[in-house]
Amino acid sequence: MKQQRTENLKIGADLIPIKKMVTMGQIRMYADASGDYNPIHIDEEFGKNSQFGRNIGHGMMAAATISELMAESFGTAWYNTGKMKMRFRSPVYPGDEIQTSGQVKKLEDTTSSSHITCSVVIISQDGDVIISGETSVTVDKSAPDGA
Amino acid sequence: MPLDYSLLKTGNEISDQTYTLSKKEVDLYLEAVQDQSKREFDESGIELSPPMAIAALSLRGVVNDLQIPGGTLHIGQEMGFKNSVQVDETLRCIASLASNNVRGEWRFMVVTLTVLNSAGHSVMEGKSTIMLPA
Repeated sequence: MKQQRTENLKIGADLIPIKKMVTMGQIRMYADASGDYNPIHIDEEFGKNSQFGRNIGHGMMAAATISELMAESFGTAWYNTGKMKMRFRSPVYPGDEIQTSGQVKKLEDTTSSSHITCSVVIISQDGDVIISGETSVTVDKSAPDGA
Repeated sequence: MPLDYSLLKTGNEISDQTYTLSKKEVDLYLEAVQDQSKREFDESGIELSPPMAIAALSLRGVVNDLQIPGGTLHIGQEMGFKNSVQVDETLRCIASLASNNVRGEWRFMVVTLTVLNSAGHSVMEGKSTIMLPA
């Protein structure tokens, strides 16, 4: 079980990073799952004539890896209390390998819970920042899984 | 008939849709985003929907009802999850316009998102910033 225990968390601690390949097949599947068929994502000709010169992935598809990172670290506490604020800084392209990472920035403890704030970033294989942002979660110290 | 975005005012409701987030849709979503995290279940053993599947659902009505044109870019997103959602729960997704401004060749719109469960309790609130050709 990869879940982060809050008693071991310190400011500056890294969350376990996630790496993914972005493919055109995945982008099409995300269009089906989300209902977002913007041609910038799925129409080859439209992508070629756009300012990007090719198709781009959905920002929310890439952002899903931030949620995965937080769910892996904090379990159902993320489902019940998670917050995220993101800026989509660069497009993600089919063929990109992205790495999503996070670091604990702030810890606010009470007797019953810990409120954890993390900085998060998604970077492409070229070092471009795709998404940057902040997440937070409140972990109940008494719950067996921190939820 | 295409929407005239200049007529949309702050506070206008732009979408109010009800969806059921089925097991099939959750599985498709998880496959699309290659989510490898552990599936979570509530105390009664019922599978929970991943938070970002709910967020994606909340944007579906915005994309469709706002008739988002090709080339629209999503540039910012905030969201907060308040209560977990069981797979197969029916959710009401409401979107309202929080701001609507033109700068240069682009129109910037901020849309607030609220997702309610069948009991009427908020399960997610968010804010999307999009830019579309003016």
